[in-house]
Amino acid sequence: MASGSDRVRFNVGGKIFETTATILANAGRQSMLGSLLDEFWKPRQPAGGGEYFIDRNPACFAVLLDLLRTGELHVPPNIPERLLYREALFYGLLDHVRAARWGPFDGNLLRPAASVPGRAPGDGTAIRAGPDGGCCVAHGSMVHVYDWMLEEHRPISLDYQQVNDVGYLDAQSIVVTARERLGRGEGGMGLFSSSTGELRHRFRVAHDDQVKSFTAGALSFSNSDYKIFASCKGRCNEYGIGVWDHDTGLQVDFFYEPTGCLLGDADKLQWLDGSNCLMVATLFPRTDNCFIGLLDFREKSVVWSWSDARITSSLDDKKVVHAIAMEDGRSVCVVNQYEDLGFMDLRSNAGGVRWSSRSKLMNRKVPEEESCYPKLAAHGGQLFSSMNDSISVFCGPERVLTSTLRSTYGGSICDFSIGGDRLFALHSDENVFDVWETPPSPIF
Amino acid sequence: MSAQKKRNFKIEAFKHRVEVDPKYAEKTWKILEHAIHEIYNHNASGLSFEELYRNAYNMVLHKYGEKLYSGLVTTMTWHLKEIAKSIEAAQGGLFLEELNRKWGDHNKALQMIRDILMYMDRTFVPSNRKTPVHELGLNLWRDNIIHSHKIQTRLLDTLLDLIHRERTGEVINRGLMRNITKMLMDLGSSVYQEDFERPFLEVSASFYSGESQQFIECCDCGDYLKKAERRLNEEMERVSHYLDAKSEAKITSVVEKEMIANHMQRLVHMENSGLVNMLVDDKYEDLSRMYNLFRRVPEGLSTIRDVMTSHLRETGKQLVSDPERLRDPVDFVQRLLDMKDKHDKIISIAFNNDKTFQNALNSSFEYFINLNNRSPEFISLYVDDKLRKGLKGVTEEDVEVVLDKVMMLFRYLQEKDVFEKYYKQHLAKRLLSGKTVSDDAERSMIVKLKTECGYQFTSKLEGMFTDMRTSQDTMQGFYASQYSETGDGPTLAVQVLTTGSWPTQPSAPCNLPAEILGVCEKFRAYYLGTHTGRRLTWQTNMGTADIKATFGKGQKHELNVSTYQMCVLMLFNSADRLSYKEIEQATEIPAADLKRCLQSLACVKGKNVLRKEPMSKDIAEDDAFYFNDKFTSKFIKVKIGTVVAQKESEPEKHETRQRVEEDRKPQIEAAIVRIMKSRRVLDHNSIVTEVTTQLQSRFLPNPVVIKKRIESLIEREFLERDKADRKLYRYLA
Repeated sequence: MASGSDRVRFNVGGKIFETTATILANAGRQSMLGSLLDEFWKPRQPAGGGEYFIDRNPACFAVLLDLLRTGELHVPPNIPERLLYREALFYGLLDHVRAARWGPFDGNLLRPAASVPGRAPGDGTAIRAGPDGGCCVAHGSMVHVYDWMLEEHRPISLDYQQVNDVGYLDAQSIVVTARERLGRGEGGMGLFSSSTGELRHRFRVAHDDQVKSFTAGALSFSNSDYKIFASCKGRCNEYGIGVWDHDTGLQVDFFYEPTGCLLGDADKLQWLDGSNCLMVATLFPRTDNCFIGLLDFREKSVVWSWSDARITSSLDDKKVVHAIAMEDGRSVCVVNQYEDLGFMDLRSNAGGVRWSSRSKLMNRKVPEEESCYPKLAAHGGQLFSSMNDSISVFCGPERVLTSTLRSTYGGSICDFSIGGDRLFALHSDENVFDVWETPPSPIF
Repeated sequence: MSAQKKRNFKIEAFKHRVEVDPKYAEKTWKILEHAIHEIYNHNASGLSFEELYRNAYNMVLHKYGEKLYSGLVTTMTWHLKEIAKSIEAAQGGLFLEELNRKWGDHNKALQMIRDILMYMDRTFVPSNRKTPVHELGLNLWRDNIIHSHKIQTRLLDTLLDLIHRERTGEVINRGLMRNITKMLMDLGSSVYQEDFERPFLEVSASFYSGESQQFIECCDCGDYLKKAERRLNEEMERVSHYLDAKSEAKITSVVEKEMIANHMQRLVHMENSGLVNMLVDDKYEDLSRMYNLFRRVPEGLSTIRDVMTSHLRETGKQLVSDPERLRDPVDFVQRLLDMKDKHDKIISIAFNNDKTFQNALNSSFEYFINLNNRSPEFISLYVDDKLRKGLKGVTEEDVEVVLDKVMMLFRYLQEKDVFEKYYKQHLAKRLLSGKTVSDDAERSMIVKLKTECGYQFTSKLEGMFTDMRTSQDTMQGFYASQYSETGDGPTLAVQVLTTGSWPTQPSAPCNLPAEILGVCEKFRAYYLGTHTGRRLTWQTNMGTADIKATFGKGQKHELNVSTYQMCVLMLFNSADRLSYKEIEQATEIPAADLKRCLQSLACVKGKNVLRKEPMSKDIAEDDAFYFNDKFTSKFIKVKIGTVVAQKESEPEKHETRQRVEEDRKPQIEAAIVRIMKSRRVLDHNSIVTEVTTQLQSRFLPNPVVIKKRIESLIEREFLERDKADRKLYRYLA
């Protein structure tokens, strides 16, 4: 009779459901169904024939109960997703739904899940994936925030100034860097709530104990020692990398730009956990001479650097337009305007770029008119590069091209980002971004 | 028609169905408020979770989240105030129990309220930056109960009183204490620290300050330390039972400061029971306790170390400067070794083999061993003693142990070259008189010296061993070649010593008896025949001889004597009485040696093969000597030693010293030249420092001597003074 006493009856909106306490325990203590059967509430027998009455939508309850039973989410076509999400929020099962909605990220299994059009004018600047599956898109002076259900929240702006970069500090907080507003004396960097869009903190930069206004550019976060990095340009040649603390938001350091290293105008910052260094890349077309360096903040030194200043080149020659440090922290991957990939060894200071010969074998891609420069990303050992309207996925130590993600709508991809097990690609022609997901694992 | 068109349409506002009932929010809230009351009144069995959850959900959905939240705060605050009253009313000892019970109730209620308001917690709270329900409940408990005027001080006093009672030996309810401190920690580390930990530490400090004062007046050092240790353990145990683990470091540091750091000097120097007494009496347990306790406080170990060092230096100094001890070198060294062993053992048993203590021990030994400039000689004599006879029947491992210990003392010596000098002399004596017990032990000692001081240091010692081996081969060769001619003549054993390797003083050879001389000449001919271009000189002062003698009543004895003694005795083959002068003339033995050798032949009881007239202890130039017909001995073999002081006589000592000084000169010069060759230009002080560092493995050069050597080198134009700066020396290639 153990299974009998384990049995639980629900009357949801007039429809009877029967399940077991074990299945409901899958919902967890932090959910309504989990609390319902907790010992605090359990002694109280449900009224009316031993069933719990819940005045909710029975169809959605069926879907959610099935989710608790199998761990899989199957939404009948007659149930709108929004309705299901709302019901899941009522029961406290939204996290369960999100976890079952799509599978762990794999660049070779991605399929388009949604295409979200935006209303903002002009070209998008950047798109960033949030840690929980949401994303934010910077357009001009605004940042549009979407949660993982792709519902848009209140947009963010910092004095309606041109947004340069944006990033998720965590699922709840977004950092925005923007051009300074002349005559205000206030810095161009702020921390916002992702759900309400309210400004929570404004980052400041002080030089010689004097707070100065600045324009903030590229952003990076270090999760190991809780720091925020941003490239900064002050009015009085105060160029360099500012460092703030995650928790207090106060400035803790400033790396002033040494001669020969371009830091204040950087295109890309990336914190390398393994070596405790920050990679700074200032690239074409922002500068004619590309610079990539590795900064050690403890010793205030540039421990590794590369520049093409001395390499004479014609305009048609290879220009580095984007760079990322690979996940192992040993090399930097760069890409030129023709989507040729190149690698640099971070462990030796001598070597230049080893351009991959792949593009010579293939037909060199020609940039389309009004196209965007390629961008790179690395995730889970896979390398991604965007060119025109598609994203290429490269795998393995040889960086073999294994997949191409292309959507037919929206034109050239100006930025893309991977996070929360999703890939977001922002198109430049139409104001639209694509969401790519890995489907949940096969049934067996 | 146009007028009609212009008529304004009134657009009816869309009516939200739920908001039709204006009392809706109020009604729903009443239901929830009632539920909260019931929960606090332990009367929740009639409540329906689904209904309450739905009501809270609806309030948040219809934008009454703020009302719900503030209502919760008000209701909960009201209940907590009621609870506060009931806790305040609790009598005496029931206070803590009541507090604990109410805390349990509140936690349970809080959990249920959170369940009901889960939807608000998930949606309304984060977006409106409110405190989540659970945290809110804790904060309200803190503000209304723990920080309530009447409870705050009473709680603190009760806790501190209980701890005090436990310290004085009473048994208290530790489980209750645990729950209460756990509550304070749950309310946030700052609550625990401010409302309990800080005052707790203050009270503890004054408690231990008083107690330590009392202890130190009436306990000896060992007892005091035992008490301090027990208190320390008690506090650690207390932390593990009912305080936050983070408090351990803080409370132990209070005990350490009050009980140890504040009384360190007094403890260490306590009369009749302080550190020195513990060291003297080998009180390992007390010492170990002292070490472990003092280690916990700053300057603790250095206090022990300083006292130990000064004690060691004091006793060591007494030992090496005690004239009584200087009489017996072996005992002197043995005492040093014993002292070292004793303290090594203390350090390893009681002081955790602490490196800094070992260093202190070493530096103390280094300090006092070098206070006595005869230490090198004594250590060499000790080795001599051990290698000569002391090691008979002792296993090889034990020999190694003894030698290792000696090496330890050797390392402390500053004047290692003096030791080398003596060691060479003593080794030579051992080798030539065949008194070495074990070749392996000798070699092992040399290997040890070599590893310590390098090849140069031992090359001559090794040369001596080589000489001994070659001599054996030579003698075999010699007798093989003389095979046909061996007759009754004396057997000769020659040891060919390389000049320079041995500490030989050039001395005129004495006149050997004719029988011996013949064999000697044969050997000379043989040796020079096999080795061309060599020169042989006889070192008659170092040889020994076995001679057979027949005394009155036909008693036959074999006498083991030195070469000099043999020469003297052989004279009595042809005469019964000889005067001192006659002996001196016939043998040409140097007067001092002759006197010594006659003394041993005539004046030692039981070995007096000669008779002297007049009978006296000392030898005078007009004494006469007779063959002692009445000599008897129960041994067939009689060993007649030479009367020699084992230790050096004053003039000898002086001579050795001088030779050492003389030997140092070229070494110092070589060092100076080496340094100047690489540096080219250097000032005086730097040269002195560098020479000292280069040579300190062998000896500590005297700066005055270095200066003299520099001057000598300038004279010989190895160096010159800089023309501009007279303090600088310049190397002349």
